[in-house]
Amino acid sequence: MSTAAISVPVSRTGHDTVPLARLAAAELRWIFRRPRTLAVLGLLALVPIVIGIGLTLVNRSVGTNAPSDSGAALLSSAINNALVLPIAAMVMTLTLLLPLASAMAGADAIAGEASHGTLRGWLLAPVSRGRLLAVKAFGVATVSVVAVLAMSITGFATGLVIGGTDSLFTLSGTTLSVGQAMLRILLAGGWIVLQLWAVGAIALAVSSWTEHPMLVVASVLAGNIVFTILGFLDSLKWLHPFLLTQNWALAPADVLQDPMSTAMLGEGALRAACYIVVGLSLAYARLVTRDG
Amino acid sequence: MTSTAVETGAGISEGVPAPAVPLAARTRGLRKVYRSTVAVDHVDLDVPEGAVLGMLGPNGSGKTTTIRMLLGLVRPTAGEVELLGRKMPDEAAHALPDVGALVEGPGFHPFLSGRDNLLRFAAAEPRLAAPAIPAAVDGALERVGLTAAARRRYKGYSLGMKQRLGLAGALLVPRRMVVLDEPTNGLDPAGTREIRRIIADLHEVGTTVVVSSHLLAEVEATCTHVAVLQSGNVVAQGELADLLESGNAALLVRTPHAERAVEVLRENRIGARLTPDGVRADLTATPAPRVLQVLVQSGVEVHEATRARTGLEDLFARLTEGESAAGDDVEGDA
Repeated sequence: MSTAAISVPVSRTGHDTVPLARLAAAELRWIFRRPRTLAVLGLLALVPIVIGIGLTLVNRSVGTNAPSDSGAALLSSAINNALVLPIAAMVMTLTLLLPLASAMAGADAIAGEASHGTLRGWLLAPVSRGRLLAVKAFGVATVSVVAVLAMSITGFATGLVIGGTDSLFTLSGTTLSVGQAMLRILLAGGWIVLQLWAVGAIALAVSSWTEHPMLVVASVLAGNIVFTILGFLDSLKWLHPFLLTQNWALAPADVLQDPMSTAMLGEGALRAACYIVVGLSLAYARLVTRDG
Repeated sequence: MTSTAVETGAGISEGVPAPAVPLAARTRGLRKVYRSTVAVDHVDLDVPEGAVLGMLGPNGSGKTTTIRMLLGLVRPTAGEVELLGRKMPDEAAHALPDVGALVEGPGFHPFLSGRDNLLRFAAAEPRLAAPAIPAAVDGALERVGLTAAARRRYKGYSLGMKQRLGLAGALLVPRRMVVLDEPTNGLDPAGTREIRRIIADLHEVGTTVVVSSHLLAEVEATCTHVAVLQSGNVVAQGELADLLESGNAALLVRTPHAERAVEVLRENRIGARLTPDGVRADLTATPAPRVLQVLVQSGVEVHEATRARTGLEDLFARLTEGESAAGDDVEGDA
């Protein structure tokens, strides 16, 4: 009786599930048509350009007073250096703006959909809750990748425009070819993406507990700030290996050494992987029991 | 308020016969507790295949909660649910592809157009092959009368347009069952009529429809079956016609000789009283032909005789009498 005549010619799949790729494509279309997402990504892409221009303008006034903290040191190395500029820009934004982008994507993914009543639509289609989380995690991960990629590209391009191809100095003083430099930038970018995935996984976990996307963004950013503060407290040294934000400002600079030192990078990557596993597990545990 | 069903009108609650038709959905001993509030209790619902079942009840009577459990969105605290022969919510993946639903108002993204929202919705629809999606979406939009506004942002839609878009989502593919929770909310009279037409169309092609509503006229106009909920309990269910007749057996006789008619009927020990344009004869002990026979034999002119049929409103008032205040604050219904 369900084959009854209807005005639309419908071709049926005969399956009870939709291919994951189709769901993922629909999710990406949704994410990248959202004006807010585009605005955040656009602004992030502008950051390296602004820093590049800013550094060139103040070039002469930096002079001799050697900066003490590592972030500022990195920044001053980025002057006329197309290798350091994109990485310095990403390290600077990693303190707040990049995690913000991931947290926003994570917030919209589940809590945002729940608040619009659209999560129910997925569940009624039906999309199983496990597949839903997979699609959502893929979407959040993609936002992080696009953000980092955009900053790498604009940063490298800005650096090249300002300093040319012979401005690719490592912090150890050696010069790299364009190809080698791009590889280094991608490596640093990849490491930062991994950290952002960890932030996104935590955001998804919070997101599946609430219907308020604001709450997700606020709690993830608050957590980020608290972690950073805890990282400054020497009396809590035993805690530091467990803090996701540990060495965020230092580790990416390691790809700028020649030869690269990988200890901090490896440790940070492992830490991020743990956060991803824990975050996604928490999100899944909540999502399967959540009322739709 | 968790007490058992109110057994008013004799034979209504237990009067549901063993179903001859297969059931599209069925619940047994359904119960849902939100913290300390019992939203739904002892719900045994039968939805025969091909029926249009109206779920009727005041706000907070558990209609939406029951529907959400029917669709596997909420896991019941106790009891079982079967939808298209599948146990819910565990086998939802196999039942839901054939079910279209509009629950708790339409859910869409404000920054996308109505059409883009539906395209996104359709992407997750297992019964729709990818190449067929645009045509199915346009067809559904056409069906609910949204073609003209399809490319406008959802943000700018009126309440009625939002409701139509939600309905379009439920109608994307031909379904075995369609569940509509308060589908006429926010619609103007013309929109309400269109919903009725759509429900009638669905019924015609054999689709089982479950409609919840607190509007009695709407249910009376569109449904073949009714389930009345009150404070989380089903107080009556069955075919609409049966429910309307039960406990109300009377024959309305239009006659110019009303007083004489009452006299004659009472002489024959048939209960009767005057009405504005005739007589109302009680049928609880006497069959209708006997009443007419008595009247005609006594020379009373009978212009018209009809079986008394109260509106759903009377029935509803009778069923929920004395408990009307209790059900208003139960959580879980919008």
